[in-house]
Amino acid sequence: MVKFLKPNKAVIVLQGRYAGRKAVIVKSFDEGTRDRPYGHCLVAGIKKYPNKVIRKDSRKKTDKKSRVKCFVKVVNYQHLMPTRYTLDVDLKDVVTADALQSKDKKVAACKATKERFQERFKTGKNRWFFTKLRF
Amino acid sequence: MVAAKKTKKTHESINNRLALVMKSGKYTLGYKTVLKSLRSSKGKLIIIANNCPPLRKSEIEYYAMLCKVGVHHYNGNNVDLGTACGKYFRVCCLSIIEPGDSDIIKSMPGDH
Repeated sequence: MVKFLKPNKAVIVLQGRYAGRKAVIVKSFDEGTRDRPYGHCLVAGIKKYPNKVIRKDSRKKTDKKSRVKCFVKVVNYQHLMPTRYTLDVDLKDVVTADALQSKDKKVAACKATKERFQERFKTGKNRWFFTKLRF
Repeated sequence: MVAAKKTKKTHESINNRLALVMKSGKYTLGYKTVLKSLRSSKGKLIIIANNCPPLRKSEIEYYAMLCKVGVHHYNGNNVDLGTACGKYFRVCCLSIIEPGDSDIIKSMPGDH
């Protein structure tokens, strides 16, 4: 009775190229649109997870290990597994529906989410989101 | 002996309430529509048969936990649940959207 597919919810993508990857809902379209007459949402997720960083690593190594590769996608609700976790990273201005129109806009959106995800990873919060799901 | 009698009585009352929901309320049968009703937060009570595969059962319970919707584990398998719904097919899980005249939502979520 409580809607849970809301922005900032962490989800796991179940189908497609990014199956098994964790993502965060940026914008949800419960009713669907004319092009997509089903419930779907815009997600920003992690294509390549950051590696484990240990205290022994040099500055150059931690930077290399903390790199995150991102993706931006419109996914059907049926192809997502919602979780109880949330990730409050402000991506609303960066990831928009028209960011997916052209390739270079998409690349720019991915670059910006990459920055935000990397700085969030460096603070050490939301550790669940940045660990790879083992299956 | 008292416990056995009590479960039989409550089991019949669930069946009665379900029959009333089938007659007067809104419901959906089946795993896909149950998840749909949970995503759109339309479901008010979920009933799962006892021979539901454990992964599917856990998945429905997880969605229901996110949704804060009650789940009732029906005392019977999918064949029995289908019969209780008045259908001639097996029903593994069902979602009650509108209870109609029945009080199943108020009386059932107490027992899990």
